[in-house]
Formats: sequence, structure tokens, C-alpha cells
Amino acid sequence: MKGGEWGIYIALYFWLAAMGGGAFLISLGFKDRRTRLLGAWLALIGIVAGALLLIVDLGQPARFWHLLVGIHPVSVMWLGSAVLALSGLGLFLLIISKEWPEWLVWTTAILVLLVVGYTGVLLMATSRPFWSGSPLLPWIFLASAYTTGAALLVLFGNHDPRLRKLSFNFAIIEVLLVIAHLIWAYSQAKPEVNSLISGEYAWAFWSFIIIGVLIPLYMEAQRKALALAAALVLLGGFLLRYFIVYAGQLGVMRF
Amino acid sequence: MPKANDHAILFDASHCTGCRACQVACKQWNDLPAEATVNTGSYENPPSLSADTWIRMKFTEGVQQGQVFWDFTRDACMHCTSAACVEACPTGAVNYREGGVVTVDDNWCIGCRNCVQACPYDAIHFNEQKGVVEKCTLCYDRVSSGLEPACVKACPTGALHSGTYAEMKDLANKRLQELKAAGYKEANIYGLNEMGGTHVLYVLLKHPSTYGLPVGLTTESKKVASGWLSAGIAAAVLGFAGVKWLADRRNEVGGES
Ligand code: SF4
Ligand code: SF4
Repeated sequence: MKGGEWGIYIALYFWLAAMGGGAFLISLGFKDRRTRLLGAWLALIGIVAGALLLIVDLGQPARFWHLLVGIHPVSVMWLGSAVLALSGLGLFLLIISKEWPEWLVWTTAILVLLVVGYTGVLLMATSRPFWSGSPLLPWIFLASAYTTGAALLVLFGNHDPRLRKLSFNFAIIEVLLVIAHLIWAYSQAKPEVNSLISGEYAWAFWSFIIIGVLIPLYMEAQRKALALAAALVLLGGFLLRYFIVYAGQLGVMRF
Repeated sequence: MPKANDHAILFDASHCTGCRACQVACKQWNDLPAEATVNTGSYENPPSLSADTWIRMKFTEGVQQGQVFWDFTRDACMHCTSAACVEACPTGAVNYREGGVVTVDDNWCIGCRNCVQACPYDAIHFNEQKGVVEKCTLCYDRVSSGLEPACVKACPTGALHSGTYAEMKDLANKRLQELKAAGYKEANIYGLNEMGGTHVLYVLLKHPSTYGLPVGLTTESKKVASGWLSAGIAAAVLGFAGVKWLADRRNEVGGES
């Protein structure tokens, strides 16, 4: 048996960490303490839950501390776990402190940005043609972090119109990036791209496009059922991770 | 580049008959179970390497210009000098050992499978029962006691050789000259430059890609660097857009809160 591919836990982790991290980064654009604190909580929950999923997914979960006792900066996996742990610490410190010192806000923001951004680098630096076939995965994951992060804040009752605009704009960017990636990677990753358009993972891909992007965009444009639209955006964010993770592992690099 | 005294294997495709004695010998020496597979119309079996199959013969077959071709290549870990698996590993569990051999420390591996995703040869795999990854060890246990790797020992046609890297490189060059003299114009040596030079060299009769071997490989550290570059630009561009959209309304509506 081959086995051992990255699966549902990884897709869930990508989703949770990006959604929470995106919410925190966006909340920093707000002046009021309530929104900022909500952002920090959402990020902390996303990152802690995501990190637990990662540990459970290991073949040897009890050995997870092996990650922390050496220094392997070229390994994106190592760097990812380091920034995951440090950003959790930063968020925790922010949550328990009354005043938010500038330096702590900045450091935590950069760490959270790295958490949101490294996942795309992780997939790009593999021998999977669909993941490494274009440099756009970090772009897609970042754009989606902002789309879902803004939607998450909306879902938690923040009705600032700027959030909807942010979510709306980033959703359009995100879907354009996904299409660009499919075209760019096609020459190297035909079976993978075809599986999304009309094969094994077409259900996830088209659900993402229709339910996760187009319908919420329409609802937002109509200013209707905004909470539902936000929930659909979050679902779309998960479907996006799902099909990228699964379709990406259909093949290995061969020439 | 591998060092002159490193352990090395040479596979000579011009002598291989596809008998798969190497495949069986590897299973026996390393105590690896057989795999239940289905017939796909080719002698190639199993269809890919796995945690239980560390070496197999790859069959390339078909008809070209009315001529049947049926070629065999060795498919196993190449023991790269700049190994993608080593650079991708977050714990150092898969690492270079003495003599340039790349092996997994199964007491240290956490089973994250990042190496599985990184290897350009699809040569390292996850064992779900053990929770760690496994692959060819270049018979480290044998070569470090002066024995030949099991696959080399079993090869009945002289298609597999082992020794120091310098010896194998010389032998490969000698074979290349002979083959060229015998009229094989496309004959070539594979592995001299791939992934920093591999400790397993192949003498091939045709272009590597006709055997399904990857060409034009990029090392893991280069891929990681371009990944971070792309992510950095993305963060700057998308972050700038986000800040702008967030700030917009503040400008428009002024003091409103
Ligand atoms: S062939 Fe793959 S598993 Fe073997 S050393 Fe190279 S990268 Fe590692
Ligand atoms: S699975 Fe084991 S050997 Fe492979 S990268 Fe993870 S810790 Fe390293």
C-alpha cells in the first residue's frame, strides 16, 4: 500500500489557521478594542485547533516535540511549526494584556502573516506538479485568508461595511488566482486539473466556485442575508483547501 | 557532488533483462512483505514504490516507428547529495550518513510525510502501521561491513555494480565509451548533476525521459526560496490592497465611528 498522503486534517488545518489568522490581521485595521480582541481570540482558537489537528495527523503524535529541539530553517514544515507556536504565544500575550504594546502587536502580526503564508510555500516546495506548477498557491491562500477572515468577523456580528467590501474584493481576486493557477499548472498537471474540472474532485471545485464564491458575491451585492453569505464564504474556503490538498496528490513529478 | 570514497551503485540499463532478482533480494534482506496488486497489462509490478517496496524495475514499453521497444530501469532512492527529503524534513530524521547514504532514523521520525511530498523520485513512503517513513537504505547495514547491497549481489547479468563513487563513475564512463563505439549514439549517464549528484548512477541507452526519469530537477532549497519570494510579494501586494480598502471608508466618512 502507498498511503500516507496528506488528508482531511491537513485541509482542515489550512482552513482554520488561515481563517482565524486572516480575521486577526483584518481586525488590526480597526481602532476599537472589541474587534481587535475578537480577532485575536479567533486567531488563537484557529491556530491552537489547527496545531492539534497537525499533531493528531502525525504518524507518531507523541514525538511532536522533536520539531522543537533542532533548527531546520530550510524545512518549510519546521519553520511553519515554529511560527505556529510563536504566534500562539503572541496572541495569548495580547489577550491577557490590558494595553497592547506596539512591538507585540507588530511581532504577532508578522508571525500570524507567516502562519497564513507558509502553507502555500509548503505545497509549492514539493514534487507534486499541481502544487509546484505555478507560484500562485501562496497568493491563493493569502487571498482566501482575507476573504474568510473578513467573513468570520461578519459572522461574529461585525457589520462594518468595509468588511463586506474586503471580503467581496478578495473573493474576486481569489477566484481569478485559482483560475490563473489551473491554466498555469495545466501543462505539468493535466490529470490533476482535469480531476477538478470534470473528474473525481469536480464536486468540490464547482461547489467552491458556485456556493463558496458566486452565490455569496451575489448576496453581498444585493445586501441580502449577509450572515448566510459569510457562512457560505467560510464553506468555500474549506472546499478550496480540500480540493487543493486532495487533487494535488494524484500524481508525482514525471517527465 | 558525492565524495570519491562515498558508497555508490551503478545501474547499467544495457545489461538489464528486467528479471527483477534485485526486487526480490531487497524484499528478502530487508524483510519486506509482498504486496497484493492487480494485473495492469504490463510486467511492471508493483505499480509504484511504497513503504514495503524499496526497489522495483520500471518497464517502459510500446511501439515506435514500427519497432517494439521494451526498456527497463531501476526505480529506487537515488541517495541524492542535495536530497529533497533531507532538506524538507523538520526533525532531521532523514539524513545523510557516512559515505553519503541517506537513511531514515525511525526512532526520530514523527511521520509528518513532508519528505514524501518533496522527493522527486517518489522513493520515500509512509508506513501506516509503524507511523514512520521507510525507503532504500543502500543496504547501509551491509555496505558498512564491506558487503555489496542485496540488489547488487543478486543481479545475474552484471547490470548492477557497487563500490566507491569514484569507481562507479569510472565504470560508467567506460561503459558509455563502449556503448557509443557500438553505435548507441544517445547513450548517456544519469545522476551526475541531478539533485547535487546522486550516489546511484545509471548508464542509459536513450534519453532519461524515455525511461520516465525526471530531468531538469530543482533542488528543494531553490524551491523553498522561490516559494518564500512568491509569498513575500503576495503578502506585500495583497496586504497593501487590504489596508487600502480598510482605510478607504475612514477617509470618506471622516470622524464617524
Ligand atoms: S531519491 Fe528521494 S528519498 Fe532518496 S535521497 Fe533523493 S530525495 Fe531523498
Ligand atoms: S516523515 Fe519523518 S523523515 Fe519524513 S520529513 Fe517527517 S519527520 Fe522527517
